[in-house]
Amino acid sequence: MLARLLAVLRRKTRTWARKRHGIDSDPLTLSGRRIYIVPSSLGIVFALMIFAMFLGAMNYANNLALGLAFMLGALALTAMHYCHRNLAGLQIRSAASEPVFAGQTARFRIALENDAKVARHELVIANEHGSAPPARLESGGRVVLDLEMPAPQRGLLQLDSFELVTRHPFGLFRAWVYLTMELRCVVYPKPSPRGLPPPPLETDTGGAQDTRRGDEDFAGLRAFHPGDSPRRIAWKAYAREQGLHVKVYAGTAVTSHSFDWEALTGLGTEARLSQLCRWVEDAYAGGRAFGLRLPGTEIPPNIGPGHRQRCLTALALFDEKAAHG
Amino acid sequence: MARPAIEVLRGVNAWPQGLQRLVWVVAGLGLAIVPHVPHVKFWVLLLGACAAALRTVIELKHWRLPPKWLRGALAFVALLAVLVDYRTLNGIDAGTALLIVMAGMKLLETKTVRDLTVIVFLSYFALFAAFLYNQSLLRLPYMIVTAWLLTVTLMRIHQTTTAMSVREAAGIAGKMFAQSLPLAILLFLLFPRLPGQFWAVVPARGDATSGLSDEMSPGDVSELSISSELAFRARFTGALPPARERYWRGPVLHDFDGRTWRQHRAPFVQQEVATSGTTYEYDVMLEPHQRRWIFALDVPTRWPRRTARTSDLQLLSTPDRPISTLTSFRLESATSYFVAGPLPRVMRTVDTRLPGGRNERSIILAREMRQRAGSDEAFIAAVLAKFRDEEYFYTLEPPRLELNSVDDFLFNTRQGFCEHFASAFTVLARAAGIPARVVTGYQGGEYNPMSGYLLIRQSEAHAWSEVWLEGRGWVRVDPTAAVAPERVERGLEAALSEAGEALPGSFLRQSTMLMQLRLAWDAANTFWNNQVVAFGEAQQRWLLERLSIEDADWEQLGIALVLTLAAFFGGMSAYLAWRFRPRGKDPLAQIYEQMCRKLGRHGLPRAAHEGPSDYVARVLQARPELQGQLTEARNLYIALRYGPRSWGAQLNRSELSRLKFLVNQLKV
Repeated sequence: MLARLLAVLRRKTRTWARKRHGIDSDPLTLSGRRIYIVPSSLGIVFALMIFAMFLGAMNYANNLALGLAFMLGALALTAMHYCHRNLAGLQIRSAASEPVFAGQTARFRIALENDAKVARHELVIANEHGSAPPARLESGGRVVLDLEMPAPQRGLLQLDSFELVTRHPFGLFRAWVYLTMELRCVVYPKPSPRGLPPPPLETDTGGAQDTRRGDEDFAGLRAFHPGDSPRRIAWKAYAREQGLHVKVYAGTAVTSHSFDWEALTGLGTEARLSQLCRWVEDAYAGGRAFGLRLPGTEIPPNIGPGHRQRCLTALALFDEKAAHG
Repeated sequence: MARPAIEVLRGVNAWPQGLQRLVWVVAGLGLAIVPHVPHVKFWVLLLGACAAALRTVIELKHWRLPPKWLRGALAFVALLAVLVDYRTLNGIDAGTALLIVMAGMKLLETKTVRDLTVIVFLSYFALFAAFLYNQSLLRLPYMIVTAWLLTVTLMRIHQTTTAMSVREAAGIAGKMFAQSLPLAILLFLLFPRLPGQFWAVVPARGDATSGLSDEMSPGDVSELSISSELAFRARFTGALPPARERYWRGPVLHDFDGRTWRQHRAPFVQQEVATSGTTYEYDVMLEPHQRRWIFALDVPTRWPRRTARTSDLQLLSTPDRPISTLTSFRLESATSYFVAGPLPRVMRTVDTRLPGGRNERSIILAREMRQRAGSDEAFIAAVLAKFRDEEYFYTLEPPRLELNSVDDFLFNTRQGFCEHFASAFTVLARAAGIPARVVTGYQGGEYNPMSGYLLIRQSEAHAWSEVWLEGRGWVRVDPTAAVAPERVERGLEAALSEAGEALPGSFLRQSTMLMQLRLAWDAANTFWNNQVVAFGEAQQRWLLERLSIEDADWEQLGIALVLTLAAFFGGMSAYLAWRFRPRGKDPLAQIYEQMCRKLGRHGLPRAAHEGPSDYVARVLQARPELQGQLTEARNLYIALRYGPRSWGAQLNRSELSRLKFLVNQLKV
């Protein structure tokens, strides 16, 4: 009953805080005004203990006992200030989060930077799904915390809001900020279990004149950039004092898969996407080239992690209605 | 010596976190309990130690904690044991025992940080309880260090990332202590002190202060601490009574159980009192003592309304109204008086009653002496002569007495203060068939020529006897006067210096430096006792008057407290803002940021991914007229930031100031 009431109250304050602060800039420097602080349950127990001490000391007219009670009370108030200050002035920025497959756990990455002259302790990032282990930040330090969140569906997963919490130094107070940042994570469709065989390899007879890949045919020279392989340097041209150039090749006959949405008739949208995802993954793992054709989108055959990501992202963000409408 | 200690500390730092936390918490609890060792029953300490040891072994061996039912049963048994042994759970003694026992039981179920925190809280409470027993200056450093260590523990158990090093935690805790201290002191000084108590107090065992209570057990206390606290003042309108007649009458004790003297519950029949000689008129200003007793010069003859004289000739405030604030009474007394006979039957029975089977040697002795003396008067003279001529000593540090306290005192220890002598004399008189009672009160008083007051301190508390002699009524007999006549004539200090107690030993007397040290320590103790331990309403008022706040009431004190808190909050926030101030940025970055800000204000903010070249190029596309200024600024910045410069060398000053100039001159 009390727990439910507290949960409702917590939700209400979160909505209220979101209205009050709006969407946060990125990076954000925490101002003291948006930090909330309340005694924790241990803090309440501590307060009760001090009150008991106070009553006892007054009753026995015992000044040293009274002094101890006041000292502990003052210490708690000092701790309150430390707790608040532990957050104030922190810089928060979002970091890129790695895409995941549906059903996995998304990790939102949030970077904290401490610009202050002293260290900060016990910083916890949390939302309703869980929290990152507490971190310590030295003066001038930077730490990246992972906030995990289940990703049940493909698409763009947004981290609505989260909290930055601390109970430093004694656990008597809990200081926190509500943060709302544009943090997104791409969730790929879940690869379907291996079932349908992938479409057979096709040979691209025309030979794509794509200079970015392949190394079959010499396609020309271009100026040298630091980092180019010395094996490709056109030494002959250099000997002719034409400057440092590298030879560029272009691919020709490439065999590749063509994964087509339309080929998967008789399946639902998500099942099709899952199947395509499976094929993409298998082809990528096998090192074979593949292309992807979705209604409204066509990605020419290619290889490499960048290509894989492009294809999977296209699958993740595929919107059937937009494609047909 | 220091090196192994450091090695040990390093070793501790390498322990697993759970064990480290536990050891710190257990050690803190132990330190907090140490001051209780002298007055807590042995089994309580043993139980606590066993629980601590068991819990540590469980942690070391990774055993499981005892099951819940077992812990519950243990806690219940422990509670019961305290209840049986102490017969109550109320009061400081039983409370302390319970605290220790329960801390031990709690230790056995300690799993989480939360549980550990509760143990630390209990340790704080044990420290608090220790203050209720003893507030001496000598102990203060120990208490402060323990409180600090408990705070370090509290901080370290809440560090979940990596265990904070002991040194860092100690530093932060120490700093926080120092920062809290001013607020604590101000709260202490300004918080309104209540006259009186909220509820009845079971007095702590251990040190008794010489003052009055409604019962008396000579032999229970082996050392009477002398409290120089004021009991009351008396201002005489006429002459002062001579020192040997300054008996201030308090409770009269009739009932003796062989060890303890108590007041008789039922009142007796009033007896008529005839007075002769001088009467004294005076005001008595009583310090609050939470009793109904009004100390009047023996015997009061006139008293104001709302007070009454009992059949014991004691003045009480009526109706049942304890004196809880400084109260003044105008009284009249006569020092020579005569209680007309006959002695009521009930009174005779009560005042000759002795408990059977106790102090038998004394009773036999009294009967022999009475037979030899022949008359009551001669018997009394013989007893006083015995105290005076045989080896009986007046001391404030007598040994404890056995169950038959009078026998033990008369035949064995032979040392005591007024209570011992009065008790022994009264028992002897009763055994000889003479009605006798113990009167408690104060004897003496120090005349303060500046204010014209007689100051009567708690240290002047006294006990004497009264015997009923046929034809003479109640006659005061002060057996202490027989042993230490100075006590009655010149006061306690004189009696003690005669006994050689208050004076430092001969060795100390020879060494002036030690003597100086001793005197300094004495002075520190006196200051501590008078200004800190005894800080109350009066001192608070005096202090506030110094600050020109006359007649401070609750409202004013409340305002002062609120102001104090506000000042603390303000000061603390400002201090911490300063402590957490940003580290200085390098000047080049500051100038570059300033430039970006300037351009940003005009709709051309730098994107996060843009370096200086790309950014300036983009700006120039939009605002070609800035070409000259921006290009130079960019080139300078790039040269300063990325250009060749030997490691650690300073930035080129002239180029830096040129860049600064350019950015300042930048007109968008």
